[in-house]
Amino acid sequence: MKKSLVSLLLVVSLLFSMLAMASCSQPMPDFEMPEEGFNTENPVTIVFYHTMGQNLQNELNSALKRFKTLYPNITVDHKQIGGYDDVRDQISTELHAGTQPNLAYCYPDHIALYNTSGGVVTLDQFIDHATLGLTADQKADFYEKYWEEGKAFGDDKMYSLPLSKSTELLFYNADFFAEHDEAGCCAVDHKPLYVPQTWEQLEEVCAEIKKIDPNSVPLGYDSEANWFITLCEQYGYPYTSLEEGNHFQFNTDDHVDFVEMIRGWYKKGYVTTQEITGTYTSNLFTETDPAKLKCYMSIGSSGGTAHQAPTADGDGEYPFEVGIAGIPQADPDHPKAISQGPSLCILQNKDPQEVIASWLLIRFLTTDVAFQADFSKASGYVPVIKSARFDPYYESFLETANGTTGITALGATVSLATADSCFTSPAFNGSTVAREQVGLKLTTCMTADWADSEVRAKILEELNKAIAICKARS
Amino acid sequence: MVDSKQSWKAWLYLSPALVLLLIFTAWPIVNTVRISLLENYKSLAELGGATFNFGFANFVNVVTFPDFLTALGNTVLLCVLTVPLSTIIALLIAVALNSIKPLQKVLQTIFFLPYVTNSIAIGMVFMTMFNIIGTNLGSENQIVTTFGLINNVIGFFGIEPINWINAGSSYWANIAVLVIYIVWDALPFKILVLLGGLQGINKQYYDAAKIDSTPKWRVFSRITVPLLSPMITYVVITAFIGGFKEYSSIVAIFGEDMGPAGAGGRLNTMVGLIYDSLSQNMDGWASAAALILFAIIFVVTMINMYVSKKNTHY
Amino acid sequence: MDNNENIRIDALEDNENAADTPKEEVVAEEAAETAPEQSMTSKIMSEKDIEKVTTAQRIVKIAFTTLTYVFLGLMALIVLFPFYWMLISSLKSLPEYQLTVPTLFPKVIMWSNYVEAFNMANLGTLFLNTMYVGIVSTLLSLVITVLSAFAFARLEFKGKNALFAALLGTMMIPGELFTVTNYITVTAFHWQYTFTALIVPFLVSVFYIYLLRQNFLQIPNELYLAAKVDGTSDLKYLWKVMIPLALPSLISITILKMMGAWNSYVWPRLVANDEAHRLISNGLRTAFTDVASGQTNYPVQMAACTVVSIPLFLVFIFFRKYIMKGVSRSGIKG
Repeated sequence: MKKSLVSLLLVVSLLFSMLAMASCSQPMPDFEMPEEGFNTENPVTIVFYHTMGQNLQNELNSALKRFKTLYPNITVDHKQIGGYDDVRDQISTELHAGTQPNLAYCYPDHIALYNTSGGVVTLDQFIDHATLGLTADQKADFYEKYWEEGKAFGDDKMYSLPLSKSTELLFYNADFFAEHDEAGCCAVDHKPLYVPQTWEQLEEVCAEIKKIDPNSVPLGYDSEANWFITLCEQYGYPYTSLEEGNHFQFNTDDHVDFVEMIRGWYKKGYVTTQEITGTYTSNLFTETDPAKLKCYMSIGSSGGTAHQAPTADGDGEYPFEVGIAGIPQADPDHPKAISQGPSLCILQNKDPQEVIASWLLIRFLTTDVAFQADFSKASGYVPVIKSARFDPYYESFLETANGTTGITALGATVSLATADSCFTSPAFNGSTVAREQVGLKLTTCMTADWADSEVRAKILEELNKAIAICKARS
Repeated sequence: MVDSKQSWKAWLYLSPALVLLLIFTAWPIVNTVRISLLENYKSLAELGGATFNFGFANFVNVVTFPDFLTALGNTVLLCVLTVPLSTIIALLIAVALNSIKPLQKVLQTIFFLPYVTNSIAIGMVFMTMFNIIGTNLGSENQIVTTFGLINNVIGFFGIEPINWINAGSSYWANIAVLVIYIVWDALPFKILVLLGGLQGINKQYYDAAKIDSTPKWRVFSRITVPLLSPMITYVVITAFIGGFKEYSSIVAIFGEDMGPAGAGGRLNTMVGLIYDSLSQNMDGWASAAALILFAIIFVVTMINMYVSKKNTHY
Repeated sequence: MDNNENIRIDALEDNENAADTPKEEVVAEEAAETAPEQSMTSKIMSEKDIEKVTTAQRIVKIAFTTLTYVFLGLMALIVLFPFYWMLISSLKSLPEYQLTVPTLFPKVIMWSNYVEAFNMANLGTLFLNTMYVGIVSTLLSLVITVLSAFAFARLEFKGKNALFAALLGTMMIPGELFTVTNYITVTAFHWQYTFTALIVPFLVSVFYIYLLRQNFLQIPNELYLAAKVDGTSDLKYLWKVMIPLALPSLISITILKMMGAWNSYVWPRLVANDEAHRLISNGLRTAFTDVASGQTNYPVQMAACTVVSIPLFLVFIFFRKYIMKGVSRSGIKG
């Protein structure tokens, strides 16, 4: 028995010594442009991780054919790795073994995560490069807000370029609104309906809808987290900051104010969310059976526009027309809406040729008008460059916009109109937890069964709890 | 008396297993212990050249984490409720299956079906059965489209609909659904193992009992259970170990928020905490939590082994 | 250390006693019941009484059998429901699937979902890859498991109990924690994008060793000792005696291992997620999700799930006969 213990100890110490050797790692150096630049002779293969479904991969493949004629020695091996979280998990594991892909779909949070290892190549040296970089025109062609997202990490360096973007939109039942507008209002005892531009107006419209159809929930909001973050941004209240040690700031009286407001709406039956109903609110919005739970307004991602259209009957007749507008604002003169959708980043690699080839692909995908237009048309996302936006082919797509068959085009049109109001929240280690927590806590505060006198104290308590978890998790 | 020939033979037979275990199990465990002792260790940060102090901060952080006690409580509760229940039901089904002749094959096949049913499908069917489609449940503005299959069934017996898993549901309603799900999910494997054991029992015992027309319950308690005790022990011990690692069943019904809407995290478990921290690259924290969980499971298993040693017949 | 064996043999004898005891008791009870009757009534027992007893017994028996069937039937219904759900979901159109109040039977049967599943997911390759990984890892795993279980059940060596306890201990650690370390190991061996990486790290399962050891322990040691006297080698004894006797467990292990290949997701995605090595669950999870909305075409996914369930189902039906055989073969006193 003693002998076996000794041998066990020996094995353990052996393993430990293996470990000591394994853990002598050097920090990953950032990429440096080699003297000779890009070699157009030697074949080079780059790996690209994304989340594209088959229809978007078709667009990518046809773009890659054109890319191949520009750079015959570059082969692109692209892979769909599940959803965004899957891409993140896969890459953060692969970074350990140095087997990460060359470039990938990313969100700012992902870059913050990879960057704890120094794994993301800064793009500034490429962008400003004399031959490989972007021209002044190309730079100016990007929508500024989308461009800015690539350097939201506190060090003023550029880590990603936007590929394709979405935002949140307000979808409303245009037929129902028309029926009860100024002209048609006076049948029932209520004020006319109109498309709300502020949260106060939204509350008013919800109240009127509730009078017309008490068995409905006027508004369905898909993402609780987006709602919380967007309200912080619109009202100018702090949410998170890049400042070390003071990351989480969403527990002031101001925050309690708007959470209490939303709670009040929920309690009056004005709003519901995806989490509360357990289904995308687009499903409630497109519901036509009067016996079932339904919404007359829905706030969701522009990327899901196609799902906001009700199903046409056998004759191709739609039960109602959909109207689309920007989301309500705190201050309509200075609108803010959250920006989502993939960007592209390059991961460190020993072979500089692979890194440069990856940059060339990013440059191609973000500046190629045909790809940007095709991809946007297929996905419902919007192009990140103005030249694609005003490309005749894409314009003709936008012209098909209507509230039934052309709903994707209509969604894209409205998203484009709001492109300047887009914002992203700071990304750092722990920003993902903050996002998750504010969503959870907003839902808790909406649904919890609290006495009126204790509501404010309870809300503050929940927000403080969320911050405690954020701190323990970052 | 250990003869040396047997000894080297034993090591020879064990060698393939041991080599693989050393590389793919022992080594990661050692690594886990190392990581758990490096304060606030993040593997990606280590990759980036960061260094970490040696200490027990990770363990302290885990134990003082706001949700730690909730997670531990849920884990233990689910274990204590599901293990006996699933074992008893599986045993009854296995014995019943073993005792019949017509339809035996068909029923055996049916009880195996959940095993080949994709887990995505199982999670969804549960959601659908217990889910109430509606909003503002329990308030004056409550709107309900359907109370769900289960509530319709119990409504048939005059019972008021229960909010099982939706916003505003009670903790115990959630636990009830989880218990049903976990027991259900655990049945095929247990039936398989117990049935395998039952069919390995020599028929002579039963024949003898038959001649003497021994009552059935007595055959069950005096012949079947004792002879099956190694299998039962196996099933119970593995169920406890699995139970302490409960996670996916909660995700299947309540999603990654680990709770009904408005009470996210309420049903979190130890493994849930570990997952959350791993996805935040908090490897030090996760390793410490895993070792704490390991310690708990270890103690419980030792108790199990001790109890079963007293009662198991080989 | 021979103590162990003795205890085991004792236990075995205990078992026999356990089986014997009720017999004796029952006999005694019956004797007690019938004795006064016999003394009271004449030697000729009324035939009616006998009939009564047997009818009563028959009724009890029928009632019991009925109860058994009702119980099994009810449980079967419960157990069957998700499978049924998978089937009907695979035949629904997407809008019907998304109805807030689900239908129990598809309004329009969409066979086209199956066609679409085949077109979208490249099922053939996924399937062959999974079969290959499943079969190879099952065979290798069985060899390793049988050898280890034999060593633990039949051979004596220093530190056996400590080692076995240590192995059991490894079952208690959440496996997720091994992922990163194992990934680094596998890449150090240059196994990325090979079937080796999918097979080798999971060949040893302490679960299976434990299961089989318990099974082997049930086989009386006298057989082994007798075989030794006859000069039978260990391997021959294993092959001729122990394996046939432990067949039900081996088959359970086979099924579990095959299931593993079918269900494994995280690891394969990490080490070999390329077209040539991708396994079925990875293929299925990603193929049917629309990126723009994040919404999944569940009916088609369910159709694919159904298709891939069929082989497993067949494996079970096929092996079930062997489980039966395993029973009939256990002619040796056990």
